Amino acid sequence: MSSTLIKCFNVAKTVSVVAFKSLLTTPRSQLPAWSQAAVGSLQKCGVHTTAPVRHERLMEFFDDPKHWSENEVKVGRAWRPDELRIKSNKELHQLWYILLKERNMLLTMEHECDDKMEIFPNPERIDKVKISMENLETVVRERNRAYHLLETGETGERPQKQMHNAFGLRCTYKSCEHVLPPFMNTKWIKSRNLGYGGRAVHKFLLKYREKLYNVKRKAKNRSRNEVMMILRRNPHFDIELLKRKYSDVDIEKLRRTDKARGHFVPKVDG
Amino acid sequence: MRITQYLTSKLKNFSNLPKEYIERSKKQVYWKTPTERGYLPSTVERKRYRYTTNRSWTGQFRQQNMPGTMRRKVFVEPVEDWSFFRGDRIEVLVGKDKGKQGIVTQVIPERNWVIVEGINWHYRRVGAENEFPGIIIKSEAPLHVTKDIRLVDPSDLQGTEFEWRFTEEGEKVRVSTRSGRIIPIPETNNQTHDYKTPNAYIEREKDTPAAVVGEITFQPKLSTFEMDIMEEMGIKEERTPAKSYWY
Repeated sequence: MSSTLIKCFNVAKTVSVVAFKSLLTTPRSQLPAWSQAAVGSLQKCGVHTTAPVRHERLMEFFDDPKHWSENEVKVGRAWRPDELRIKSNKELHQLWYILLKERNMLLTMEHECDDKMEIFPNPERIDKVKISMENLETVVRERNRAYHLLETGETGERPQKQMHNAFGLRCTYKSCEHVLPPFMNTKWIKSRNLGYGGRAVHKFLLKYREKLYNVKRKAKNRSRNEVMMILRRNPHFDIELLKRKYSDVDIEKLRRTDKARGHFVPKVDG
Repeated sequence: MRITQYLTSKLKNFSNLPKEYIERSKKQVYWKTPTERGYLPSTVERKRYRYTTNRSWTGQFRQQNMPGTMRRKVFVEPVEDWSFFRGDRIEVLVGKDKGKQGIVTQVIPERNWVIVEGINWHYRRVGAENEFPGIIIKSEAPLHVTKDIRLVDPSDLQGTEFEWRFTEEGEKVRVSTRSGRIIPIPETNNQTHDYKTPNAYIEREKDTPAAVVGEITFQPKLSTFEMDIMEEMGIKEERTPAKSYWY
């Protein structure tokens, strides 16, 4: 299926030869002469005629052999949400599978390179594909949300809400679809643990909150220390800038401390 | 320099690598809770890295930040607006090259450093053995942006102080305080590892042509993504779903 997809973006360029050309990444460059024709041919998706033989299909998990010994395989950047928003659903669907195949290929190549003690060229390609796929999913969700909001007044997403778990911690509860309404579903009523309590949980919460508080306290101390060290190293540092950067630190007070004073003799008037 | 500033600053990412990759490549996770029920998500990982002239996605960087090792903290003073870009002509204020001018070739904002072409050479002797004296490798040492350098005024090619001001069009520019002339940000700042200008980018095998990217094929339609794809593929769904409850 996917080679059909690849073909359809390539009809103008290749009539008989199926060159592998994915919509992985987009350059910002000017358009080469030949691709003017490619624009019109997007709709004329060729029918998948020749089934590839078995070992070729397996080799689709691997990169083109000419890239195997390369030190650098250059590609453009990832797809941006704004570029995906102007594409039809059909093209997004095709692009998703192209990206998925590319990701499979890249992950296989990375694993294989690790296995064979080779350098995997340009590992950022994996991240570029991942960013593209995330953006694509965002765009599809946006469209679905718009439809559902218009038709039903709800987002159509899986309902979820914030609640406390048995340990008394806030967590997201993702709802599930049930055949029975909640009051009839005795199994579900029995299985759910509403609320929290007990001495052990309260003890745990006390210690957990202390831990969270310590993280906050240490961060505050760290920024205080940082300001002192900056002042010690640069006695004439811009105080306004420091105040803006470290708004939680009392800088005027810190300036008078011994730690913030550098190893120099202060000028005394008179 | 902080990340919010980095985003608003006019400094361009020369490596042209996605941020996700840069973060992923330097990550050192020592321990992580299993992603199962009953575990609070928590990781033990390296929080502080020693940034040097080696970029964070290289092997040298990893060698300088070997897992399990700790190095002394480097205090990097905050810089409000990053003002030194690749291609800038600057004057050196300290060291043996004091008073010389040079062109900035590399910017390392993690340490408030710039590397200037042909300025501040330092020499390393490597490969010395019993008989063999070794070879000398020469490279530029970085210069600190707040203390070691200042910009050069393009009108008289003398070092000058400057400040950021706004033009009437609302553009933020560097202005020499001595002559009042705008010090433009050089075009070299926009160059990346992959191309010199966006127009000069050579399209690769797997790149989508620019016209195909810009083509508008979306037509608003009262259907979800799935409904549209089903219609496209000729899949008919005539069953009515049974009543269900979400809770």
